[in-house]
Amino acid sequence: MINTFFGSGSLNTPIAFLASLIIGIAFGFSLEQAGFGSSRRLAGIFYFKDMAVLKVMFTAVVVAMLGISYAKGLGFVTTDNVFFMHTSYLPQILGGLLFGAGFVMSGWCPGTAAVGLASVKVDALVFLLGAIGGSMIYNEVFPLIKPFASVDHGLLFAYDSMKMSEAAFAMLFTIIAVGCFWGSEYIEKNRSGGGKLFGTRFLKIFSVVLIVVSFGLFAVAPQSSQTDVVDYSKISEGAFLDNIEDGMDHMSTEELADRLVEGDKSIILVDIRPPQEFDKFNIKTSVNIKMSELQTALLPYKDQGTIVLYSNGMTHPAQARDSLVRTGFKNVYILTDGLNGFVETCLKPASLHQEPLTQEMKEKISAWRKFFR
Amino acid sequence: MLNDNQKPYMNPYIAGVFLGITLLASYLVLGAGLGASSGIARVGAYIDVVVAPSRTMACEYFGSWGSQPLKYYLVFMLVGVFFGGLISALYSNRCALSVERGLKCTIIKRLMFALSGGILAGFASRLAKGCTSGQALSGSAVLLTGSLLFLVFTFAGGYAVAWFVRRQWND
Repeated sequence: MINTFFGSGSLNTPIAFLASLIIGIAFGFSLEQAGFGSSRRLAGIFYFKDMAVLKVMFTAVVVAMLGISYAKGLGFVTTDNVFFMHTSYLPQILGGLLFGAGFVMSGWCPGTAAVGLASVKVDALVFLLGAIGGSMIYNEVFPLIKPFASVDHGLLFAYDSMKMSEAAFAMLFTIIAVGCFWGSEYIEKNRSGGGKLFGTRFLKIFSVVLIVVSFGLFAVAPQSSQTDVVDYSKISEGAFLDNIEDGMDHMSTEELADRLVEGDKSIILVDIRPPQEFDKFNIKTSVNIKMSELQTALLPYKDQGTIVLYSNGMTHPAQARDSLVRTGFKNVYILTDGLNGFVETCLKPASLHQEPLTQEMKEKISAWRKFFR
Repeated sequence: MLNDNQKPYMNPYIAGVFLGITLLASYLVLGAGLGASSGIARVGAYIDVVVAPSRTMACEYFGSWGSQPLKYYLVFMLVGVFFGGLISALYSNRCALSVERGLKCTIIKRLMFALSGGILAGFASRLAKGCTSGQALSGSAVLLTGSLLFLVFTFAGGYAVAWFVRRQWND
């Protein structure tokens, strides 16, 4: 697994800012070279006149997808070191519709408008001012639309949603993209006298190379979506266990038990299991919050007190912690070994412990048992 | 008002490969994809913080970004996009003060379209948690269900409205 800024929790440090700046420069340079500093060229796709947006975007998506899929298949990339956005169906569908409308009206989108501004296009500047305003409006109306806007369906990959293997989906995606390239060139040729690359040796070779590279994924990517899911949890769990050593983001079961017994009010203990499980049994003083509602529910405790997340194991709390940290929480910890570990070390009667216990430990266990019963 | 010496655009597939490699580098180095609308929204949050600090910090959305919203990696990326675009536009002789529009469209009308489109896009990108960069490009490349839906519905929304705003490009 490679060490990314996200993986090491240092995405908002000066060195990561510098890396982001450099990546941004490459991003802006590519966009401008593609001709995306022109709103007319960008809008062209909606009138089937200039299909450059589709060609550039799909090429970039396919190239990056192939790269990431190989990196995932070879174990360089997991959900631990790369941030994958969660899916929220309705906000993303409605957001897409509105965004598309804004895109065609203005001829710009945020990234290309920054490039348009660099090319001294006044309409790009006006778009950017509008987009800043649109974001401010969103902030104002957020309390009203929050129930709708904050739904979260978790991390969903399209190949899992469609019950396909990752390699098969990636290859299908590549073939569709190549089909779009040929279709775009054909449309341009007939509508605007463009499409100069239709049927050229370049486009033929380019198409074949992409498809062959996508076929190679069958060699490295997990073969069925089900094994993929299982592998993921294993990889994650293993990596988290490795991280226990540095322990920065963990709280041990003993420490938690002690602090709760002492009546430490700064601890916000959060159980992220389903409500049915929570109702059956939970750690005294804990509150039950669904994964999807953590962000909003915990907002009042951002950087106030100590938030401790637990579930049965450690994978889910660690994922939840990652997404909280990404939005700026600095006071989130996960319970080492989860609820299972807590029961094992703190609630099991001293007499049932396999390992020899000191007198002090025996007294602690009996105090914990009394408190948490 | 285009400069006669401007270089032709790059072959779109080659430009796409460059963009794809940039995106891949972003995932492998930063551990996150590209983004543009977040940087814009944070400028909005910054303005709010300067104008009305205590009110902004009490807002649930902007408030969660803290009192220094510009200290965020995607803000630096957005600045990079501007300078990358500037380097490329200067290199290819494409810097020219202009309002891009069809010959029959007035400047005011074109700018009104740009402004209203900007407001819509700014709002929508917050709702969808990303724009063409963060969702359609970065999310689609890692095959996220929601991002691919965003991509499809962006085009759907665009084509649905295209006919009504076509005149701004008429020559």
